[in-house]
This record gives sequence, C-alpha cells and structure tokens, in this order.
Amino acid sequence: MSAPLPSATPPEYPRTGQVLPAFGILGWRWISRNPASTIAPIMLPFIFLYFLHLIAPASYFPLEVVGAMLFTTQNIGNWVLGDSATWRIEASLQDLFVASPMGKFRYLIGIAVSNLIPAAPALAVLAGILLYVDPASRTVGPWLVLLGVLIVLWVLFSAIGIAVSSRVKSQREIWPVGNLAFTVIGMLTPLYYPLSVLPGPWQYACHFVPSTYAALLVQGAFGFTPAPSATLVEYGILLLVLAVAVTLVALRLYVWGER
Amino acid sequence: MAVATRTPFRGLVAFSLTELRVQLHESTSIVTSLIVQVVLLLFVAILARDLLPVALFGGILFSMFALGQRVQNEAAFVRIDHKLNELYLAGPLTPEAYFLGMSLGVLGAYLAPIGVLVAVTVVVAGMSATTALVLLGACAGVWMFASSFGYFVSTLFRDMRTIWPYASIFYNLFGVLPPVFYPLGFWPAPLLPVALAMPPSAAAALVQSTIGWATLSPWEVAFATTALMVEGFGMFLFTIYWARRTVREDS
Repeated sequence: MSAPLPSATPPEYPRTGQVLPAFGILGWRWISRNPASTIAPIMLPFIFLYFLHLIAPASYFPLEVVGAMLFTTQNIGNWVLGDSATWRIEASLQDLFVASPMGKFRYLIGIAVSNLIPAAPALAVLAGILLYVDPASRTVGPWLVLLGVLIVLWVLFSAIGIAVSSRVKSQREIWPVGNLAFTVIGMLTPLYYPLSVLPGPWQYACHFVPSTYAALLVQGAFGFTPAPSATLVEYGILLLVLAVAVTLVALRLYVWGER
Repeated sequence: MAVATRTPFRGLVAFSLTELRVQLHESTSIVTSLIVQVVLLLFVAILARDLLPVALFGGILFSMFALGQRVQNEAAFVRIDHKLNELYLAGPLTPEAYFLGMSLGVLGAYLAPIGVLVAVTVVVAGMSATTALVLLGACAGVWMFASSFGYFVSTLFRDMRTIWPYASIFYNLFGVLPPVFYPLGFWPAPLLPVALAMPPSAAAALVQSTIGWATLSPWEVAFATTALMVEGFGMFLFTIYWARRTVREDS
C-alpha cells in the first residue's frame, strides 16, 4: 500500500493586477510570432506620408508626420476590433474572459495595451522623424501635449473598436467594417493637413469628430497652425469631453456577456 | 479502379455565379471597397487638384489590383473558417475552376463600385477611345495578376488574423507607393524600370501615356506591356498549377 500523498499547498498567485501584464505578454507574443503585424501599422502611415510628401507643399511635412502619429494611434482601434472579434467568433475566448473576474473595462484596457505594442515602433520612428525634420519641435511642452492626446485617442478608438467588434457577426465582416470605421474617420478629419484647406461644409462636419480637436490641439501646440493658448485649452476640453462621451457610449454598446 | 477524367475548368460557370451571389450579399464589403481610393483622391483634390485626372485613372487601376485582396480574403475565409472548399471540391468542380470562379465572382460583384469610379473619371477627366482601350487591357492584366496572386497567398496561411497584416502591406505597398495615383514623372528616374515592371504601376504608366501625363519611349511602352502580360499570364498559369496541387490537401 502506498503512502498517502503529502498534502500540497496550492501556490499563492496574486489575484489582482494581472490583466495588463497578461495582455502585454499576449501583444508581445503576437508580434514575435508575426513580425508583419508590426510592419503593417508602420507601413500604412508611411505610405500615406510618402504620397502626401509627393503631392503636398513641403511645408506641410512636419504636420503630416504628427498626423501619421495620430492616425497610427487611431488605427489601434482597428486592430482591437480585429482581435476582439476574432477571439469571440473564431476562438470563442470571450466566454472565458467574461467568466473571469476581469470586467469589460479592464478587458478593453488589456486588449488596447496588447495592440499598442505593435504600434509602438511606428510611433517611435515617427517621433524621430519629427525631431529630425522640425528643429523647432525640440521642446518638451508640445511633446507632453502630444503624449496626452495620443493616450486619449488610444483609449477612445480602442473603445470604439471593441464596441464595433461585438456587433460583427462573421470573420468576413471584420476587415471591411474596420476599414470603414477607422480609415474614414482617420482620413476625413484634418490629421494630415490643416483644417483650413478643407471646404466649408467639410470643416463644419469635422467639428463633430474628436480626432479633429486632437489634430488642432497638437498642430497648435507644435506651432504648425498657430492658435492662442485659450483656444488650445478649448480644443483640449472639447477633445476630453467628446472622448469621454464617445467612450461611455461605446462601452454601453459593447456586448460583454450574453446578448 | 477507374479514374474519372477531369475536364479543365469544369464547373466554372456554376461556381462563378455561386460566388457572385455570395459576394453580392456582402454589401458592407462592396460599399467599403473604394475607401482607400476615395481617401487618396480626396488628398489629391484638396492638396493638388491638377493631378486629379491621373489619380482618378490610378484609382480605377488600384481598384482592380485590390480585388486580389478580396479574392485572398474570400479564399482564406472559405477554406479556414468554413472549410467549404472541401465540400466544393468533393464534387465535379475542378480546382482551377474553383480559383477562377471565385475570382470572376468577386470581379462581378465589385464591378458596380468600379463602374462608379469610371463614370466619375469620364465626367471629371474625360476619356478618349484609345485611353479606354488601354485602360481596359491594363485593368485585365492587373486583375489577372492580383486575383491569381491573392488566391496563391491565401493558401499559405492557417488563420485569418495573420492574413490581414500581410495583405495590407502587399496591396498598399505595391498599389500606393509606386506611381499609380501620381504621375510617373514624380517617381525617381533611376528606378523607372522598377515602376514599369510592377503590374499596377506598369498599367498606370501605359494609361498615363495616353492622357499626356507620362512620356514613354517605344521601348518603355513595350517593356511595361510585356511586364504586365508576362506577370499577369504567368501568375495566372502558376496559380492554376498551384490550385490543382494544393487545394485538396492544404487544410
């Protein structure tokens, strides 16, 4: 007769604060296995930059580089959409996430972190280009504004991505829906050019999109389209208000548990 | 044991029509198929309006090129997500008819938005008979290359999530970076043979030469035409071979 097994005390694992590291690892493993997933977010804004560099006045180039940074950050929402929908539809992983202690807000931040990782190299390269092409940008103030704006856009568009993902019904829809939502919003707002070059009605419509205020604020902070400090504060407040409102609506629309 | 003889392209018409119906149900995809083109055209309209004719013709050619991405996604989706290729190919449908039928179905469904772009081009930039003929031939070459390439690439992946980044890189890199939406003259002169060798920019160069936006020597015209034909037919023939070789046992 064998001796009774010694009673093993289960190891103590921390039960909180694990969401971000876990999703961070997920994001890293994804790009380490699929380097193209990092190249794609880098390539797209660079391709647009190259195209704009050819057709637009050279003086717009620093503005376009900042626009590419904003566009890259917005586009994280597209990747959040893709991941969240794939995990729900193909891998049925969302049931596991819902059953865990993690709520939908932490899931949102987690998946946003995991998708920030592939975009980070693009942002770093673009930041380097901006510092190189625009010596006037080598001061701390505008960069702090840019950092704040990028964080707001990152959370906002990730929330939009995750909300849209819960409405997508098949894998086939992910790509066109993501393109529609993010490329249109990203391109039709004045990220890559000053708002003033747009026709009147278009300018007016842009004021309903948070990215417009993000662009105006950053362009003003870097001095590409000079604006008084009070106006920049106004842009910042409008960006925050719109971003909070849209994020709350998106989280409300997001179907987390059973429909 | 008797082995049934296979008629090449057997089932092509039936599968093309099936695929056309499938694609026509994907209204979101059809509506969104012109997004990149419209965005780039807006860039041009806002920042360099005089280049609009070139960009419009480029938009038509890019649309044909981007159909390869649709074929790629569709072939991968049917194989990976639904595993329907097993069902289709268990019948009399031949692998080459499966590939070509899918490509024709996708083409049929997306002709409507491309037609809209053609109509806008005719209204805004005008189109002579010569330009129309060259455009038609160029579109055929680009479509043949892109659809074949898209199908071939789709067979190399095991999950849908991996396909999108690669597709995005390929179609944007070769469709937007070379002189498709902008004049050939903006492209670095030492790299002209590269532009004339790539299907979308070779097609664009030929069309631009008919509307007066590019000046090509007879040798350059011959080079671009040959490149487009060789790459289009070559890729098409290779994909037929590849479809026969891989489609049954790849999943």
